[in-house]
Amino acid sequence: MQNLIELKDLKREFVITKGWIKRKKEIVKAVDGISFEVKKGEIFGLLGQNGAGKTTIIKMLITLLAPSSGTCKVLGYNTYGEEKEFRDKINFIFGGEMGVYKRLSARDNLKYFANLYYMDEAKANKQIDKLLELVDLKNKADVLVETFSKGMVQRLQIARGLINDPEIIFMDEPTIGLDPLGAKILRNIIRKLKTDGKTIMLTTHYLYEADELCDRIAIINNGHLVALGTPQELRNIISGMNTIEIVLEKVTNETIDVIEKLESVRSVEKADTDKGIKLIIKYLEDADISGNILNSLSGLKILSFNQKELTLEDVYIKLVEASR
Amino acid sequence: MKNLKVLWTTMTLQMKNSFVRPMFRFCLLANPLVNTILLYEMFINSGQINFINYVILGAGLMGIWSCICFSSAGDINRERWYGTLSIIYTAPADFRLVIIGKILGNTILSLITFAVSFAAARLFFKGNFYAPQAYQFLISFISMILSFAVIAIFLAYLLTLSRKTTLYMNLIEYPVILVCGFVFPVDILPNWVQKISFSLPPTWAVKLLRMSVAGEVEASIFLDTFYKLVFITGIYVIIVILLYKIINKQVRKLGTLEMQ
Repeated sequence: MQNLIELKDLKREFVITKGWIKRKKEIVKAVDGISFEVKKGEIFGLLGQNGAGKTTIIKMLITLLAPSSGTCKVLGYNTYGEEKEFRDKINFIFGGEMGVYKRLSARDNLKYFANLYYMDEAKANKQIDKLLELVDLKNKADVLVETFSKGMVQRLQIARGLINDPEIIFMDEPTIGLDPLGAKILRNIIRKLKTDGKTIMLTTHYLYEADELCDRIAIINNGHLVALGTPQELRNIISGMNTIEIVLEKVTNETIDVIEKLESVRSVEKADTDKGIKLIIKYLEDADISGNILNSLSGLKILSFNQKELTLEDVYIKLVEASR
Repeated sequence: MKNLKVLWTTMTLQMKNSFVRPMFRFCLLANPLVNTILLYEMFINSGQINFINYVILGAGLMGIWSCICFSSAGDINRERWYGTLSIIYTAPADFRLVIIGKILGNTILSLITFAVSFAAARLFFKGNFYAPQAYQFLISFISMILSFAVIAIFLAYLLTLSRKTTLYMNLIEYPVILVCGFVFPVDILPNWVQKISFSLPPTWAVKLLRMSVAGEVEASIFLDTFYKLVFITGIYVIIVILLYKIINKQVRKLGTLEMQ
């Protein structure tokens, strides 16, 4: 499949000047040698902590920032120097309430941005109507944006990001601060865009969202690529362990010792919670130990019993912690 | 045609956006009104017969400059705060066109300051604006608009490089009013300041405007000043063209198009 985005040993440094009299320059490496490709039609997730370099990567890809070194290509063109060749084929959506003119109506905003993409009027009007319906703002189309709620502004931002029917859409934490309904609308839009053959690069802090939507995920930390693969491939990196969480009214250390000595059990953690005493038992993935554990707990009052599968969040935390 | 549409829509959007801002309305309406009254009181004993012309022009010029300072220059920062600067910069439409559209929108809107100072002079002091050389006045007025627009573009470009635009626009407002002779002739300024004055297009535009309302002025003197204005403005146009190439690279290297 064709690679639409190509990053090779990409670096971006920022120079920070400190002090008044003795000005000291400090170089911060926001992105430090990242390489990956994004294929046509893919939803590609970028995960990482705040300051990991996700937004900097997106800003280089949307031609807002120049790379310090390395290759940064979109649709085969360098994002610095050849940006005119592809700017009409991409767009971006940043989370939050920015990126629209609040003293204009939703329709006027979209009309203006359509002009900046050189869209002809008839096509633009058709697209605007379609997008306003898509983001559920059709009956607020001619109302000033300053009267909109945060969620409505964000939905308008989504419409703005799709105004030119882009081939590639970059989304930087698009669901941040959105109410559950708004977030659901956006997730459905992302799915629909994928079925329309669009390529999407997405950053998010909501790991379930990335798990649900992304074909492939890159985890980055301190500007470095920590892991790259499908959600399942990432799980496999640290697979081999499953977890059982049991909440008991009370438990003795002897009982914990018994569980720890069970075959396949690798660790037992005890935690006091409001609901009771929680035991977190890690055991080998393929083992069936529920019965043995329940036998060990006979006579004790079990308040809850939860067998957890490895989540993307477990994987993410493990990989990021290991990369420190 | 497409570029003209971008220019036109940006101009109209800018006018709408500027007019709804209380600060712009203050610069547009209250500022020339107050300045007309102040300048009238200052010029009333000047001994000049047609001093009311200087009052109206002075107040109008101060108003238009304030609008340019707080709007054309401040708009870059405003767009940065709105998060729209990055969008207009990365859109296929030429960023220069958007900046020019914004400045033209503001400059055209800020011409209201002349109407306000004219109306204030008429209403409060029964003063009449009189331009004996109508053609010369028209040429001067259009030249003044263009030279102010060029200076505004120059400033707007420069201010994309920094996030401290509010500081800079406050810093330049009054010095330019004094240095370019909006209220007093530049001849009364020290020699070294006059050198700065003559390097700025508004100085020549103001000179030209003054000549056109002064009465009988030899055509050769008027033309000489006009050519000087064209020449200085031309130099700024070249600087603006070259500056954009540098700025276009620098904003992306420094990452100054956004608040963080």
